[in-house]
Amino acid sequence: MPKGYLCLVLHGHLPYVRHPEHEDFLEEDWLYEAITETYVPLILVYERLIADRIDFRVTMTLSPTLISMLSDTLLQERYLKHINRLIELAHKEIERTRWQPEFHNLALMYLSEFTKARDTFLRYNRNLVNAFKNFQDLGKLEIITCGATHGYFPLMDTYKESVRAQVKVAVGHYESVFGRKPRGIWLPECGYHPGHDAILKEAGLRYFFSDAHAILHGSPRPKYGVFAPVYCKGTQVACFARDLESSKQVWSSIEGYPGDYNYREFYRDIGFDLEYDYIKPYIHPDGVRINTGIKYYRITGSGNRKEPYVPHWAQDRASQQAGNFMFNRQKQVEYLYDFMGRKPIIVSPYDAELFGHWWYEGPLWLEFLIRKIVCDQDELSLTTAAQYLEENPRNQVITPSMSSWGWKGYSEMWLQGPNDWIYRHLHAASERMTELARSYNSVNGLTKRALNQALRELLLAQSSDWAFIMGTGTHTEYALRRTKDHLLRFNRLYEEIKSNSINQDWLSDIEYKDNIFPGIDYKTHQ
Amino acid sequence: MVRAKKIKKVVSKKPISRKRQPRIKKIKTAPKPQAKQAAGIRAQEIAVETAKFSQPEISRIVKTFSPELPSQYEQDRMVLLVRDPWWLYTYWELKQGTVEKLKSELKDEFYKAKRILRVYDVTDIIFNGLNAHRFFDIEIHEFANNWYIDAAGPGKSWCVDLGLRLSNGKFVTILRSNVVQTPLDGPSWITDEEWMIPDDMFARLYGMGFGQGKSSPIGKAWRERMVSSSGVASMASPVKKAQERGFWLKVDCELIVYGATLSDAKVTVQGKPIALRPDGTFTLRFSLPDGKQVIPVKAVSGDKADERTITPIVNRGTK
Repeated sequence: MPKGYLCLVLHGHLPYVRHPEHEDFLEEDWLYEAITETYVPLILVYERLIADRIDFRVTMTLSPTLISMLSDTLLQERYLKHINRLIELAHKEIERTRWQPEFHNLALMYLSEFTKARDTFLRYNRNLVNAFKNFQDLGKLEIITCGATHGYFPLMDTYKESVRAQVKVAVGHYESVFGRKPRGIWLPECGYHPGHDAILKEAGLRYFFSDAHAILHGSPRPKYGVFAPVYCKGTQVACFARDLESSKQVWSSIEGYPGDYNYREFYRDIGFDLEYDYIKPYIHPDGVRINTGIKYYRITGSGNRKEPYVPHWAQDRASQQAGNFMFNRQKQVEYLYDFMGRKPIIVSPYDAELFGHWWYEGPLWLEFLIRKIVCDQDELSLTTAAQYLEENPRNQVITPSMSSWGWKGYSEMWLQGPNDWIYRHLHAASERMTELARSYNSVNGLTKRALNQALRELLLAQSSDWAFIMGTGTHTEYALRRTKDHLLRFNRLYEEIKSNSINQDWLSDIEYKDNIFPGIDYKTHQ
Repeated sequence: MVRAKKIKKVVSKKPISRKRQPRIKKIKTAPKPQAKQAAGIRAQEIAVETAKFSQPEISRIVKTFSPELPSQYEQDRMVLLVRDPWWLYTYWELKQGTVEKLKSELKDEFYKAKRILRVYDVTDIIFNGLNAHRFFDIEIHEFANNWYIDAAGPGKSWCVDLGLRLSNGKFVTILRSNVVQTPLDGPSWITDEEWMIPDDMFARLYGMGFGQGKSSPIGKAWRERMVSSSGVASMASPVKKAQERGFWLKVDCELIVYGATLSDAKVTVQGKPIALRPDGTFTLRFSLPDGKQVIPVKAVSGDKADERTITPIVNRGTK
């Protein structure tokens, strides 16, 4: 009999980056890298587990922007080009490293991985969403939704119509993709503000995830801390908070697993290391060096001297660390079970891109962990939030506290010197959008197209990613440009709609560029 | 599921200081990320998230001349936002007409008046402008249009007026913000009879929830992290990290082996067949480690009647 549950949550999201107006666009690489290094490896993990009849449960967010990009034919075409170039580079590397077996074997490994990535991509008809849908239909994966464009809700609270549009557009999009309603939502950046649960309820959502202090600092005091969900007062929407102890084991840069010296070093990429003329065809067309994804070194130590990566050493460490993680969770649930008198749930959410992209061995660690939990012991059992609620419907009712999982736990990451100016514009746009949604009824043709496009532009401007990048203070140009472009397009649409002078050519052009959410309804923003 | 509950309120033992000094603070620019700053989980999360958005060292020169966003939306509007349990942020704009009207009403007084943010504590009341529990003033300069406010009051409701303090001390409200509520910075004092938990047991759960083990004092590490965490660890993009190593030199060697034969010949290098270009030329590139490399290049003619072998021998040493 299990004494407690582990709920693994992987949050998969990328902002909508798609530039049909340029033949080659650097920021689109964010998606291509994520496909090769995170999404395909995770799909392969799930496939192997299913093939071996391992009955697992994992929760995954697929943000509406990520789904839209994965399903987009232009980006699919470009990914294929991207992965073919990488395969070509891997072939060259196999030749180049022939006199250095320690690198040669790694070049062979990369060729095999890139080839698998391409095969997997093609096997699912170029649309990896099909793979995740399949795992969900098999009952192994619980896919939850997110804000339509990952807008940060707490700073939209004054304009709840925008929170509602973020949630409802996301839920509608989910339904059109997966053929059923989502049960849960990942609030972008875990940004919870009291009252937003009512909007979730309206949209038919039954639960969301939050950071620990949403529950721990909620009122009244939560009897079971973060080890049981709570229902939000007034709405009965369930809130599951993350357990920071299990988070720390994986995330922490000091004692966290990904820092193991045997693991692959993220920062040494042949895009930077190799001779310029040789690598030039595989970096940015402007000749700017970028990561290629081929990395030959292990972390080695804290210094600059790096030794070649040895895959089987890393695999051994991933297996040991999976065992260690499981052992700690077993001890945790044993202790909590006695303490609480009911089965605790430990919620361990991670950014999906931690697995594979940042922590190369992450997908393997996850596979080891799942196999060990399912096959080697009885104390701990994998669950999803929905399954937990079915088995444990009685939970305390509280009002969770405003919080996020961002830097310092609240809104500062998205509200500081470099990015605070955006809210003046975002809020004005929200207000204008509400005005449009309320004053234009039963319109057709051009006006309707313009109104729908206005909502697309507003949503795209709201992505928390732009404020995040501005907040980090480096390479902010693209984020600035995206914020401005969408707001400018929104403002022009607003003026043209109001003055009944919609420029059809220009509208068609921005519909073509910002083509997300084809079925969007501007009336949602109310 | 819904049932009536008795909520018991435990009165805070901490006295609430009533005579607060007005605070005038504007937050400094956020600290620039530095790789060696203290690392918490959140900082690491930022590093991972930053790595998603990898960027080249030199930004491309994309200078599209897009128009600027409007500086004003021609509205009287003041919006108050919560940054965290302690800090608020407000921005505002005034229609030109609003200022003109004030000027004509107040005449000289307008120019002598100080521009003020009046911050009201409106916790648990419906604010009518007069019934705030307390307020404090922040003097701002005339052209400011946004401000960070150190309210230092977790778990309270706030409202802010932009106004003028006239020379006779009278306060004139120009704009009033929305009301916001700051979150608590610790556990609630309110407990629920049906879901009671003794304080010491809650303290243990609380510590565990924050990953501090079962014996840690309540939220100590949490509070330290919240207060002292001054920056973001290893925020760097891959490129940035390389730059932070200081002065360095890297040298490596590669060897290019090239040649030509008849286009229908079969060529092997070190016993391994290689592909010729249509004109019969070939180029191979090897990473060259220290030591001796013997590289027999053998060509066999298309009809297999002729055969040539040339063997470059290369020695590399590094001092």
